[in-house]
Amino acid sequence: MKYLLIPLVCMSMIGCSTTVPVVSKFPEPPGKLVMEKCPQLNSLNIDAKLSDVSKTVTLNYTEYYTCAVKTDAWIEWYGKQKKIYEGVVK
Amino acid sequence: MWILKFLPDWFFYVLLFIGIFGLLISKFIPSYYKTAVQATCAFFVVFGVYMAGAISNNNEWIARVKELEAKIAQAEAESSKTNTEIVEKVVVKREYYKQKGNDVIQYIDREVVKYDNTCKIPPEFIEAHNKAAVK
Repeated sequence: MKYLLIPLVCMSMIGCSTTVPVVSKFPEPPGKLVMEKCPQLNSLNIDAKLSDVSKTVTLNYTEYYTCAVKTDAWIEWYGKQKKIYEGVVK
Repeated sequence: MWILKFLPDWFFYVLLFIGIFGLLISKFIPSYYKTAVQATCAFFVVFGVYMAGAISNNNEWIARVKELEAKIAQAEAESSKTNTEIVEKVVVKREYYKQKGNDVIQYIDREVVKYDNTCKIPPEFIEAHNKAAVK
């Protein structure tokens, strides 16, 4: 029985090392367009006419909707990436 | 386990076999060497069994790693496909809103300019608009 102690001591000195060399990359953003910051809204000149006001308001609405497209894209991106990631983890 | 990197798997199975074989035939060995042979063979058996378990465990982990790598590769491909779909949507929607804005501006240039001289914009209105527009 005492002979069994020698290999047991040796084995306890070997030890175990379990490394998991699996690296998952962070998902890429959905294109360069969504990485651009939303621009500053246009303001009016002091001598602006009615048509200038209308144009500026229109341009600002367009900016808003263009920016909303980016936000919506990020929301969709997050939802889909989360779903993909959860599929891997399961 | 580090030792598995340096020695092939079969080495430990051979060791185990030698240990078992040695223990079986130790009865026929002269008593002078008997104890030494039995001790060595016992060590081989215990070490061989232990390493067989370690090999099995190691192989299981390798299989799991491969499975996970395959899943990740599939997820990355799916992620890339999703991104392409989103980019396409973004481009289409941006163009739509820009076109819509240009249409409205054309309408303003055609219709609203007629009232430029009849409608005076008070400076307070412009100030209020600019305050709201600036961050």
